[in-house]
Amino acid sequence: MLILALANLTHRKVRSALSVLAVAIAIMLLLVLVGLSNGTLDEISQRMQSVQAEIVVRDQHFDLASMSGGKLWEKEIPRLQQLQIQGQPAVHTVIPVFLARMKLAGLSQNVFGIHPNHFATFAGQRRLLQGHLFADLDSPRHAAQQLTSQIDDQSSTNAPPPLDLPLIIDQRLANAAQLHVGDRIAYGNSDAHIVGVIETGVAGRVFAPINRLRASSGIIAPTAHMFFVKAQPTLSNDQLGQLCETIEAATHRSATLVANYHQELADKFRGLTTFMTLVSVIALAICFLFILVTMYTMVLERQKEIAILQSLGAGPANILAQTLQEATLICTFGAALGVLLSFLVRHIIQTFQPLMTVELRLSWTLGAVLIALVGGAVSALYPAYLALRHDPVETLNFE
Amino acid sequence: MTQPLLQAKSIAKTFSQGRLDVPVLFDIDLALQPGEFVAIMGPSGCGKSTLMHILGLMLSPTAGQLWIDGRDVSNIKANGRARLRRKKIGFVFQRFNLLPTVTARQNICVAERIRGHEIDGQIDRILDDVEMTHKAHHKPGQLSIGEQQRIAVARAVVHRPAILMADEPTGNLDSHNAQHVLDLFRQINRDYGITVLMITHSPSAAQAADRILHMTDGRINPDIP
Repeated sequence: MLILALANLTHRKVRSALSVLAVAIAIMLLLVLVGLSNGTLDEISQRMQSVQAEIVVRDQHFDLASMSGGKLWEKEIPRLQQLQIQGQPAVHTVIPVFLARMKLAGLSQNVFGIHPNHFATFAGQRRLLQGHLFADLDSPRHAAQQLTSQIDDQSSTNAPPPLDLPLIIDQRLANAAQLHVGDRIAYGNSDAHIVGVIETGVAGRVFAPINRLRASSGIIAPTAHMFFVKAQPTLSNDQLGQLCETIEAATHRSATLVANYHQELADKFRGLTTFMTLVSVIALAICFLFILVTMYTMVLERQKEIAILQSLGAGPANILAQTLQEATLICTFGAALGVLLSFLVRHIIQTFQPLMTVELRLSWTLGAVLIALVGGAVSALYPAYLALRHDPVETLNFE
Repeated sequence: MTQPLLQAKSIAKTFSQGRLDVPVLFDIDLALQPGEFVAIMGPSGCGKSTLMHILGLMLSPTAGQLWIDGRDVSNIKANGRARLRRKKIGFVFQRFNLLPTVTARQNICVAERIRGHEIDGQIDRILDDVEMTHKAHHKPGQLSIGEQQRIAVARAVVHRPAILMADEPTGNLDSHNAQHVLDLFRQINRDYGITVLMITHSPSAAQAADRILHMTDGRINPDIP
């Protein structure tokens, strides 16, 4: 009966092609939207989890979505370093990060201001591919003074802007923005220049020396947006959890395990992911309505063929199977085309927006295909029911 | 005496059109012996097609009983009727009723698939029997009306049914093609031993049968030999 299903579909080529396209677009939309939202969250959380620290401490008012808000003070660090679990020192290192934002490759990027001696904690196994590590000044006030004097010099002598904010960027950003070591870019009222390019996968796409970044942002106090806490290696997972509670109790700051960052992001962006899922579901519903209308029209058009099949001995199960087979074929071709379109759209997105991540997992792809097949079959049930209700004798006599 | 292949007793059929009941068949008694070639003749509207649809299990009678191979099939459900049609009955219609989207050969294949049979050499043999091998891969629209009817006959008998039911099989054909189809029916009846029940209003077509029954006003008229 597959012959008949294929023949029926090829008999009405344009209608079948439109039905296939409707399924394909819905599947593509589903995969790309899910891939984009999850891919972005996965990519960010994987980068954060690349930091060689176990706990991240932030102010209660810090906003994860905008990566800004309540600040921490570096003077809190000694207190954190003295924390103990079961009478033993629990904290190995506290790493302050000052965050600022700059626009690169068409997207707003977080600049991670860090002390140069903490760079290895962020780099981990990843290598500097080009250039070298930056140097910093000993305090934000010192950095601010130097910046001010450089600006004064510039205004009095018409000298070129001072190269005062050295940056290390990751390879993906370097490729996307076509930046190389030595390139200069604007940062607010001052200049920045690229001193190094590191392998992709580090927590920040852009690193800068913390004191210079503070000064360039107009901050002279030693503040930070987050502390990464590197615990003593002897601490178990349970003890890391206890350490989070201890930090929160001692500092009234928010302390979470870096390992839970993905869940935290997912919770934060649940509204957005729900919205995207809803858009996909609506697209799928429209697509399945289209299948229903297509199959309904086909059944109406082919009453005589159905009557012929019944005269040949086709029972209700055969007629049902025939209708479902045609819908399933449309959905199979549509799903296959939809998967291909998803890869094409991902390629287009990554060509024009190289910093966006569209993750197309095999399990999601198979899930989308399954949804298409089941949805198509369900959409064909009512037309199949109508097909079964036709009186074959009336149909054959009608002509 | 051999058991009739098909036996109808007191068959009646009334169609309801809104509040109006339209009786079409009255008290039909009929028996077909295995291997018979029977024609039912009658004017248009006398109920002969309705009778064929009831005997072919496409339609349920309002009253009466029907046996096929000794089994009472008067009250079996849609699935059971479909199963019996698949196994025991082949239909040929006045307008051929081939599936237009597939080729001549595929029309026969689809029928065999519905019957749950494997596609094998039987299809090529039947195409050869109806002299249509050379047009096996043509779609119905590319065939003449005579060729279409031969394919319809091949499709109806490829599984060697017990009964071939033909409703005005020559009604749309010119005399040459009509004769060809009637010859085919005789050959099928003789060579395959298939019982043939043919509905026709053509006296010359009816002459091909061993026995002719006359219908008028929904009844079989026993007075006409």
